[in-house]
Amino acid sequence: MSARTGLDRSAVEWATLELMRVAYATRGGFLAVRDPRAVVWWYVIGAVVPWFTYDAGVLALLFGAALWAALAARIGPLLLGLFVLGILGDLVYLLVLLLVLREDPAAIGALVVPMLKLGTVSLVSMAAFASLDPEKISDALLAMRAPEIIGFAVSYGYRMIPVLVDEFRVIVDGHLLRGAPPRGPGFLGLRALVRVARILVRSFYPLILNTAKRTRTTVEALETRGFTATGAASGAGRALRLAHLRFTPSDGVLLAGTLVVVTFAYWAGPMLGLR
Amino acid sequence: MPTADDGTNRADPAAVRTAPAPHDGAATSEPAPPAGLAREETASQDAAPCAIEVRGLTFRYPGAEADTLRGVDLRIEAGDFVAVVGGNGSGKTTLCKTFNGLVPHFWNGDLAGSVRVNGRGTRKRSVAELAREVGYVFQDFGNQLVRATVRDDVAYAPLNLGLADWRERADDALAALGLEPYADQHIWSLSGGQQHLTALAGALALAPGILVVDEPAAEVDPVRAATIYDHLTRLNRERGVTVVVIEHHAELVATYARSVVLMDRGTVRWHLPTAEALARTADLEAADIPAPQVVAAARALVPEVAAGSTPVPLTVAECTEMLREAVRGLPPRHPFGEPAQIPAGQGTDGAVPARRASAGRDPDGAAAAAGRGPAGPTVPGAGDPASSSAHPAGPGPAAPIAALRGAGFSYRTVAGPRHRVLDRLDLEFRDGERVALVGSNGAGKSTLLRLLTGLALPDQGVVVVDGRDTRGVTAAELAGTVCHVGQRPEQMLLQDSVRADVAMFPRGRDLPDTDELVERVLERMDLTALADRDGRLLSGGQQRRTTLAIALAMRPQLLLLDEPTSSLDLRSRDDVIGLLNDLSEHIRCTVVATHDMHLVAEWARRVVVLDEGQVIADTDPASLFARPEILERARLLPPQIAQVGAALGLPHTALQVSDLIGMLGIPALADSPDASDAPDAVGPKEEHA
Repeated sequence: MSARTGLDRSAVEWATLELMRVAYATRGGFLAVRDPRAVVWWYVIGAVVPWFTYDAGVLALLFGAALWAALAARIGPLLLGLFVLGILGDLVYLLVLLLVLREDPAAIGALVVPMLKLGTVSLVSMAAFASLDPEKISDALLAMRAPEIIGFAVSYGYRMIPVLVDEFRVIVDGHLLRGAPPRGPGFLGLRALVRVARILVRSFYPLILNTAKRTRTTVEALETRGFTATGAASGAGRALRLAHLRFTPSDGVLLAGTLVVVTFAYWAGPMLGLR
Repeated sequence: MPTADDGTNRADPAAVRTAPAPHDGAATSEPAPPAGLAREETASQDAAPCAIEVRGLTFRYPGAEADTLRGVDLRIEAGDFVAVVGGNGSGKTTLCKTFNGLVPHFWNGDLAGSVRVNGRGTRKRSVAELAREVGYVFQDFGNQLVRATVRDDVAYAPLNLGLADWRERADDALAALGLEPYADQHIWSLSGGQQHLTALAGALALAPGILVVDEPAAEVDPVRAATIYDHLTRLNRERGVTVVVIEHHAELVATYARSVVLMDRGTVRWHLPTAEALARTADLEAADIPAPQVVAAARALVPEVAAGSTPVPLTVAECTEMLREAVRGLPPRHPFGEPAQIPAGQGTDGAVPARRASAGRDPDGAAAAAGRGPAGPTVPGAGDPASSSAHPAGPGPAAPIAALRGAGFSYRTVAGPRHRVLDRLDLEFRDGERVALVGSNGAGKSTLLRLLTGLALPDQGVVVVDGRDTRGVTAAELAGTVCHVGQRPEQMLLQDSVRADVAMFPRGRDLPDTDELVERVLERMDLTALADRDGRLLSGGQQRRTTLAIALAMRPQLLLLDEPTSSLDLRSRDDVIGLLNDLSEHIRCTVVATHDMHLVAEWARRVVVLDEGQVIADTDPASLFARPEILERARLLPPQIAQVGAALGLPHTALQVSDLIGMLGIPALADSPDASDAPDAVGPKEEHA
């Protein structure tokens, strides 16, 4: 048995931590300081415009802008890494397709376009949601007159992330420690794979049950804390909660600037000569 | 989820109509109104409605087969500080949930009778409306917090109710509990004690006149429990808030409550002023609430108290005073504390020598001598980790099972910097030891246990378990040597029956005698009757027993337990301590991380005190309780009996009521609590060598 470096443990810890940092927008960035409503509108613009064109040049410019925005919004290494991994995977897939099917390389173009579109939307989403903490999202949704339950679900969902991660880790550890020990990787690592899959499936029920038990108190507490009280979502409660939101000129500049960039992309894209 | 609907409307209208009748009926139907409360309150009952008035209340949960509350009559005066006590399943929590309308508006089962809060019935008012009069802090308070930061969470209820001054209310509540420094922290980065205060602040933000707190001391260290009670006391005195607590710990009841409600199988047995209530030891014992040690000691040693002609002492100071009177002129029988002073049942087989022997391991050495008798034989080498590690097992020092050598651990925080939990620890755990790991919340106890399991790896030094560096083996490989039972038992229950959970480890490893072993373990842990039930649906005490059974079936050399007695009523707690005593025959070394100083006093032979990642003392329970500077630093509160002993100036620390009786040299009265308090008679094996 080779010495353990502790990487197995610290990797999980790092991923958890990174998730928390993204979820609670602890890194700052140019979107984090803006009014949440502006950020949501910014997101809507960014997520919609790629779908109105098939020009690879326009899409390339939009993709570039989205990439810049994601970096400037400090989405952090975990999300970026996952994203790059996804894009690389797509590229490899394209290459394999090209080699195996010996198709006309021009057909690749047809695949590049949707890839750029999806890539742009993903980057915009990451930039927006890494910049909004749960409170801001639920405030923005409330301000936009989304049903209160949606805003609450977002806020509570975020609140439960660490709880779920913790619970899951303890249960998986329990299986690893007390379950049958691994008997080598097996053919193509299949046995190890099956073992992990079994553990994951078996962890599901205890995870949900334990979490549900915790939630019982939460539901009662929500009742005592006026969550379902009439007026909490529509009347005075809503006004009070949203009183702190300020849509400043800078927020207007952000949206206007975004529209300018989009217009520029649509104008300059076709001149790049990409199909 | 249900809110107010037909369940409420179905309720007996007659009860509502009769409710406004004059209160005297309730007062007389009460076996004994809280007579000892301030007299003017009793006199002015007609003028001011009492805070809570319950009449003929019967309640059955939807789908349940029996009533949870059966004809409850209760009056709680405004400004009172009431402790509701009773065994598990006696209906305490259900009763308290009727005060804020969760019963019957949320739990709309069958309800008869009436509950009136500040003179108005609860049936017609919503839970949110009642929340402005009755604040409620749940037992698992962590799940009561729903927003991301402390300030947001505290402001949540006033915002929901549309109160324009929500910001001031939140700030007030934060200030009242000293939470300002944490106001902008995330909920999940708080310690348990801070979360509890946040939950309390969230209830206080609505400025309720009544505050219900379910088991405030269940999951926090003793000093933090006292902090919460001090806050409650201040709210009660300064703001006139009526406080109702559900509490298992008779000591806390004695110290803080003004009256006590005893619940028994869904009814209120009595509601009495605290001193009278605690004098009824038989009733309390029957409800699994052993009397506080000061009461037990006074009853055993002071004839007037035993006869009931003098009220029982409620605090350490009162008890000390009383005992000083009683022993005046009686010189202690054994002023220098030979083992003979320890009553029979203890000390005959090495229990006392063991305590003494490990006392020499204080890092700073000097103070350890205090409180140690000259007579205790010492185990050679046990006092010196460095020398003993060189010897293999055999006559002489016990073999180390696990050792930390310069081991440290830190983790990265969300904000970025690393937080150091343990800093270059040197510790050894040996054959036959019973180690208690104590220290305040966040001192690194749980982390130390995780290092020993191999689940966490040190970032400084090495951790050696059973001769193997934990870096060299996987945690799964170590599982046969080290078993870790976590703080929350349900996390260990992974299968759909108790039997399957107990069998999981031996079956997974294809051990030959699995079936027989499992049956034996179930038998021993008294779980045979529950073997086919789903462990996750058992009560807290049964779950603890199941996790101990799982541990036993793993046949580990080193057993690690994290807070095995937290959130248990005292009967279940004593069961666990009893089981731990039994386990020592099978397990070479047991390490328990705990806040429970009774567990330390009754079970441990060695105590390691952690503070901010360092070992600040490594000694035996008696010497620990004799060192106030360590106790204060680690936020520990010795058992009352040790405090009484110290206040009386006894030469040795009393760990149990029987110790004190023995030391004072007074023949114990007939109903002395020796029997229930008698310590284990199982000695560690190495002492016989």
